[in-house]
Amino acid sequence: MPVPLLALRKRRLLAALVFPIAAAAVLLPGWPAGAQTPTPAAPAPGAPAYVGSETCQPCHEDIYNAFQKNPHKLVDTQKRRGWEARACESCHGPGGKHAESADKKDILNPAAMPADKAARDCLKCHLNQPTHIGRLQSSHASNEVSCTACHAIHRNGPNGLAPRKMAAINEQCASCHTAVWAQFQRPYKHRLPEGAMSCVDCHNPHGSIQHASLQTYAANERPCFRCHGNLRGPFTFEHAPVRLEGCGACHEPHGSANPRMLTRAEVRYMCLECHANLPVAPVKNPPALGGVPPAFHDLFSPQFQNCTVCHLKIHGSYVSQDLLK
Amino acid sequence: MKLLLALLLSIPLLAQDAAAPAAQTTPAPAPAASEAPAASPSPTPSTEQWLTGSLDFGYRFASVGGSNDTYRSVVNLGQGPRLLGLDFTVVDPKKRLFDRLDVRAYNWGGDPYNTVHVDAAKRGIYDFNFDYRDIAYFNFLPSFADPLLGSGIVLDENSYDTRRRMSDFQLDLFPGHRIVPYFAYGRDSGHGTGITTFETDANEYPVYDSLFDKTDNYRAGVHLEFNRYHITLEQGGATLREDQQANTSTFNAGNNPVPFFGQQLDLTGLAQAYGIRGDSIYSKGLFTADPVSWADFYGQFLYSRPETNVNYSQLNEGSFVVLSSLLFYTGEQALAFAETKEPHTSASFGFELRPWKRIRIVENWMTDRLHTAAAGLLTDMILSPAASVQTTPLPLTSALVMNYNQEQIEVLVDVTRKLTVRGGYRYVWGDAETDAALIAGPGPESSDLRQNVGLAGATFRTGQKLSASVDFEDASSSHAYFRTSLYNYQKMRARARYQALSKLALQATFSLLNNQNPTPGINYDFLSRQNSLSATWIPSKRITVLGEYTRSTLRSNINYLEPEFLIPELSLYRDNAHGASALVDVALPGYAGLTPRLAFGGSLLVSSGSRPTTYYQPLARLNVPLHKGLSWNSEYRYYGYGEVFYSYEGFRAHLLQTGVKLSR
Repeated sequence: MPVPLLALRKRRLLAALVFPIAAAAVLLPGWPAGAQTPTPAAPAPGAPAYVGSETCQPCHEDIYNAFQKNPHKLVDTQKRRGWEARACESCHGPGGKHAESADKKDILNPAAMPADKAARDCLKCHLNQPTHIGRLQSSHASNEVSCTACHAIHRNGPNGLAPRKMAAINEQCASCHTAVWAQFQRPYKHRLPEGAMSCVDCHNPHGSIQHASLQTYAANERPCFRCHGNLRGPFTFEHAPVRLEGCGACHEPHGSANPRMLTRAEVRYMCLECHANLPVAPVKNPPALGGVPPAFHDLFSPQFQNCTVCHLKIHGSYVSQDLLK
Repeated sequence: MKLLLALLLSIPLLAQDAAAPAAQTTPAPAPAASEAPAASPSPTPSTEQWLTGSLDFGYRFASVGGSNDTYRSVVNLGQGPRLLGLDFTVVDPKKRLFDRLDVRAYNWGGDPYNTVHVDAAKRGIYDFNFDYRDIAYFNFLPSFADPLLGSGIVLDENSYDTRRRMSDFQLDLFPGHRIVPYFAYGRDSGHGTGITTFETDANEYPVYDSLFDKTDNYRAGVHLEFNRYHITLEQGGATLREDQQANTSTFNAGNNPVPFFGQQLDLTGLAQAYGIRGDSIYSKGLFTADPVSWADFYGQFLYSRPETNVNYSQLNEGSFVVLSSLLFYTGEQALAFAETKEPHTSASFGFELRPWKRIRIVENWMTDRLHTAAAGLLTDMILSPAASVQTTPLPLTSALVMNYNQEQIEVLVDVTRKLTVRGGYRYVWGDAETDAALIAGPGPESSDLRQNVGLAGATFRTGQKLSASVDFEDASSSHAYFRTSLYNYQKMRARARYQALSKLALQATFSLLNNQNPTPGINYDFLSRQNSLSATWIPSKRITVLGEYTRSTLRSNINYLEPEFLIPELSLYRDNAHGASALVDVALPGYAGLTPRLAFGGSLLVSSGSRPTTYYQPLARLNVPLHKGLSWNSEYRYYGYGEVFYSYEGFRAHLLQTGVKLSR
């Protein structure tokens, strides 16, 4: 049976994608594992020597014991990192001098270093991981928030580097973002204080391609659609601000005194603030996108004071241009 | 061919250097300091318990006064027995199926927010996460959507009583290796009932509707992590199903009971159904690289193409009118079919250069483009006693195009070891086009986006005693999409943290957004400020005091046109709030090595402006250990909510919760 041309093209395309990946993975320098490991340079004569993690144990026993169940223990055991049995010194630098003097000046302490310097220490291993893909857009990075501000590097347990319980995550974020947490004390908000959601459900603290370090969903969608999939569309008739400016154009997701977390106390004003152009012919670059106000609506009548009573498909409609159904 | 591809893909996986499984490491006695490091000891000391965790259960008493509907819309905690928390960890010393299993579950047994989280991992083999949430959404607030409030009818015509359930599974294989394949599945579904309106010319009718929607999301990919670069490739797909139905067979006079040209408009029967089916494919490619010690590169390419298919049907009976022709009719049947596609591409590329020790240059470009195109047909048949009238089929077509681009460069200079300053520039440009202007708009519109933004910031820190940062943006725009969009704005955030004493830490934050659009007819003037001060004080080992106060103000003035006569008016919005929260935790005198604890505090909000609101949430908690691993916990909470303009929506609730916690 002859192979259809389209199918053949697809196979070729697939092959063109897969072959380079497989070839790159096998052939690129650094393969097999260990060949490209950043083996610590041999110390210059007179420079402090590496002494190994075991040397740290007698004085730092609590940290050492906790570290045994820490994810960073991997550094001690994995060859490819190049720090086998020297996990402590992978961050703190050679400990020979400090082991002799027991003076804290003789050892690096990332927690006391400038944030960027400390981050570079972490990024030695963590830069080339998907976690940090949004680092350049991260306000944490640009504001010099150190990795250790959120991650407890030595803490016990595999989940110990950062809090995992939602309430604990929120507590950690709120310790700096106090004003944001104050918004969550308002009546209409997402359920963070109740522990049903956490800040990282919506925000990526490591940075993101989206505004305000928002998480991405389904490649490049806003995180809102992870839970509100029914508002994702695409709709036959989109409400342009939803796509162009996001949910934050009308909602205050951290909390509001207004029902539905709206940014205005009454729905009509929120609508009319945009739908207030003078009727003009179609033009490029009008004062703003959005139609003229609805001329036959008497806003003194309660019937017309909440636009979404009629324009109920305000996030977009499948059948009505006026978002009525 | 497929077999060959599969084999090729599996070669690198098989060739991976397996991490030394922790179980295979030989526990070794701690060597002397001078000895060379030997094999690592077992990460799991043999004395460790295989099961640890806690079980917290009890009974909650609730007493609600005032508006129960508002209480349910805001708090929604009920009375009855509850599983408040279950949290356990299983460590398998033989590391057969897993090294460690963590399970956390909270608020089961009738609470509106049920959560479960499971983490299972076998080091170097797999990492599995499961997250489940079941959240009740109840909303019935007559102040929000009650056109009949003036006639004494208290009804929220946009109300709902639904639940949303979210499940997410993710399995990473060979974590910590160079090649990490992963698979994920997520489901988000919602179901419930509500009140919606059925809209016709000259009247609309509140009707009950049932809601159901479900989104399944599948994705798989691979992380290729090397010392100098990383690539992630992901392919995913999603399906959507939404079935909303509104039905009624009872007489409904609607929101407008006044006869129209002498004829009463009403609804006597309705069957309305939305059948929405959607699917989406999406792809993701990410890379990071640091080919040289002084430069890092980042890039991502994201593509999705969701599409939906619509089957809509509507059959309504009663007395209706077509306004444009003043045609009175008794029934209508409408059918609609439509298909919409929305290819959406996003990409970014950037780098950080460190040409000198104290200088970093960060450059970042990103683009976001989507194009929605819809085509369909609506057929509408008007039924009148005299004869049936078939209206002209109405094409359902629309398009929305958005192209957004952003280029930013920033230079960071470490002036001293304690001070870093930065400055930069961002240019934002784009265009948008829409032909579906809402409410009798002028038709197709297109607009541009042009924004020049200056960036500045500084970070200062002296060890761990004092740290402060300032972040400032000043933007000037020549075009923006919407009247309320950011236009000429200044944005500032400042934060300082000071460890005043060893037992006292203070933090202050300040944020400001000032946005002005002086375009005639718009005259948008927006200013919001938030000032916050918090303190952590530990006066003794037994007492911890946390306190926080926030003052926020918001002012918004913008011109709009009064709809009926297009007369210019000013829309004013104000929201000035005082917010405070505090928690005092006291360790009470102990007995038999057990220490009871008392905590009390809570939060308050007092706001004035366009919707003056008070919301008080004081609480007190008592924890009394009865035995090792057994404690009695009690908590009292009060919720007091009041509104000046909508006093009928206020409520007061007393909640007392008591139970025991078993822990091991």
